[in-house]
Amino acid sequence: MLLSIGRSLGWRLAQAGLVAILVGVLSFAMMRALPGDMIFRIAAARFGYDNVTAENAELVRSQIGDPAGISAFLGWIAGLFRGDLGTSLVTGETVLAEIAHQFGATAELAGVAILLSLLIGPPLGLWAGLHPGGWFDRATVLLASVFKATPQFLLGLVLIVVVAIGMGLLPAAGHGEARHLILPGLTLALGLAANTTRITREAVVQARDSDWWRFARWKGLSERQVVLRHGLRHVAVPVLTLIAAQFVALMEGVVVVETIFGWPGIGHALVHAVFHRDVPMVQGTALIMGLAFVLINALADIAARVLDPREAAQ
Amino acid sequence: MTLLNADLTVKGSQAAMVERIALRVAAGQSVTLIGETGSGKSLFAQAILGTLPPGLHAQGTLHIEGAPVALDDPKALASLWGHAISVLPQEPWRALDPLMRARQQVAEVHRLVAGKTNAAAAASEDLAALGLGQAAERYPFELSGGMAQRLAIAAARAGGGRIVVADEPTKGLDFARRDEVALRLRRVTDDGGALLTITHDLELAEALGGEILVLRKGQLIERGPAEQVLKTPTDPYTAELIAAEPRHWQKSPSARRGTPVLSAQGVTVERGGRQLFESLDLVLHAGEVVGLCGPSGVGKSSLGDTLLGITAPATGRVTRSDGQARMRFQKLWQDPPASFAPHPALGKGLEDLMALHGIPRDRLPPLLERLRLEKGLLARKPDAVSGGELQRLSIARALLLDPVFLFADEPTSRLDPLTQKEVIQLLTGLARDQGIALLLVSHDPDLIASATDRQIALSPMLSSK
Repeated sequence: MLLSIGRSLGWRLAQAGLVAILVGVLSFAMMRALPGDMIFRIAAARFGYDNVTAENAELVRSQIGDPAGISAFLGWIAGLFRGDLGTSLVTGETVLAEIAHQFGATAELAGVAILLSLLIGPPLGLWAGLHPGGWFDRATVLLASVFKATPQFLLGLVLIVVVAIGMGLLPAAGHGEARHLILPGLTLALGLAANTTRITREAVVQARDSDWWRFARWKGLSERQVVLRHGLRHVAVPVLTLIAAQFVALMEGVVVVETIFGWPGIGHALVHAVFHRDVPMVQGTALIMGLAFVLINALADIAARVLDPREAAQ
Repeated sequence: MTLLNADLTVKGSQAAMVERIALRVAAGQSVTLIGETGSGKSLFAQAILGTLPPGLHAQGTLHIEGAPVALDDPKALASLWGHAISVLPQEPWRALDPLMRARQQVAEVHRLVAGKTNAAAAASEDLAALGLGQAAERYPFELSGGMAQRLAIAAARAGGGRIVVADEPTKGLDFARRDEVALRLRRVTDDGGALLTITHDLELAEALGGEILVLRKGQLIERGPAEQVLKTPTDPYTAELIAAEPRHWQKSPSARRGTPVLSAQGVTVERGGRQLFESLDLVLHAGEVVGLCGPSGVGKSSLGDTLLGITAPATGRVTRSDGQARMRFQKLWQDPPASFAPHPALGKGLEDLMALHGIPRDRLPPLLERLRLEKGLLARKPDAVSGGELQRLSIARALLLDPVFLFADEPTSRLDPLTQKEVIQLLTGLARDQGIALLLVSHDPDLIASATDRQIALSPMLSSK
């Protein structure tokens, strides 16, 4: 088993390298393709939109050179090997320091979102799967479709209007206290839970239909004992894989939700970096997100192998 | 002491699916229900277990260890599982939890069902008694088929139920394993249990002894001591069932051998880097029926693929007779449903085949007639016809291509004995009449001996007789 984990980690490591190169190339190319003069945008970010003059722009250009030039790109790649992601064109801080600052906030939000989605999705899916075709099952299908189809910006706004403004229960924006986490976390979690509910439900129905489930009952175990001792483990494998796969959707959601709720995280920073044509910041943020995706999937791989020994034997 | 006393009828929405059957099984006794698919033998067992399909219900009385149990109360019946009734699973390697270690699958029953405090020790004892001591910490996928079988028996019986219900316990097993199952089941009655077995395997029924009940279309045809029913049946249907066993088949005369159709010289076949057999020489002639037997995994199917030209031999040469299209070397598959597309009507597939190869449409009706297939079947989907009909359709499909060689890979192993006999007789008869070289694979030596003209036995070291 250790050998197979090692092999899979090696593969993930190669994947991480590939992700780094691809993310660097693509984000650089896309930043170049955006319309408008980069230097003016950067100057606007530094001095404010009203203070952009030709002299200011010239000053910026003399300091940073051409941010869209090939030498800037090669410099970034060379920096990667030294673990240096460059400096922000706007603040002059190193990209690593900027991201380290924001990453914690995002990790906090993403963690709460996943936790909430796990508290909502699998229990609903388990109950629906144990009573397939019942009213509860049908209601969860409907709700899951609704939440899956609702864009996060809309869901976030609805929550702000209803919960924060209408009922005045929670703050619409802010950072620092636990209550600030609930609305943005819930906005992300409802979309994720829509998927985990359905996957859990399918896994439970499949398990209940299996020969081993029937035999476990025939051995004399109660339905409850079969669920707890045999069912949950089988259901955990696909749910875990789904969570890892959903990470892309989560990162996408983070960008939107952080912007709506003014959450000072990596997604918020990415949006601003794009507006300000802060190329190294865009590259760095995208890289960290890409690597996080690879890391999460590697962890899910290991967990799946621990849960399902057949995986490890292959 | 009577452990199981059942007197019941299984009813559908209108008609009775199983007419009234009364049976008693005392400690140390064995009762076996035999019959074909659709005879109602499994429904009877499901009525006792409370697992009847929706729409069916049981009426009558049931006493377990002397106490009455309501047949219309699935919860009450389910509460007997493990505690009073041990249910042996069909195909045990699928009944074991693939994610749980062997000992744990038995220990949980000792603890949660039998309420023992020293469950782990009790489980280890069970496993050791069945020769599974070394395998206690393995997962099911690490067990051989025979070990999985024994583990399933240990898990099924750990709850302490003295009544054992076994539904088709030899389904899909090869010969050596069948004998082991019979041995384990006899152990149940030796230990003072009551055994109720449902099977279409008459050799198993004979090995178990006790009382036999013969069912047909939901009706009890005949009952009596095993020896008497199997040796001197009074009902013609029972006699027919017995005659359908391959060991009782009449040997049909072999046809005149025609010209060689296919030959192999010094053929060695490998799979996954492992050599299956080496230097096989073989010549097949038009109109001869040749049997191919050997234990599972020996490479029977791989040999077929090589002869058909689907895979190349590692060494040696396969020569197919000159001027014959590759299409005329055909194969019949083991699992009929798997060899038909599930959604289109059966006739559609045959039409497409005829259109593709420019086969005149009037070829089909006489073939169907010859194979005793109704035209109406062609409008149905594969899941709406029986396994026997489906396999006869796949024979028709192969014959449309006017084959000179047919590789039949266990074509009847999933069929009932009566259906098996019919399909094999049709197949061998057609091969002899139409001058097709037929290579018939089976793990049943009796079938091979009575249905074929000569045999090739594959063992890891090849021998030809």
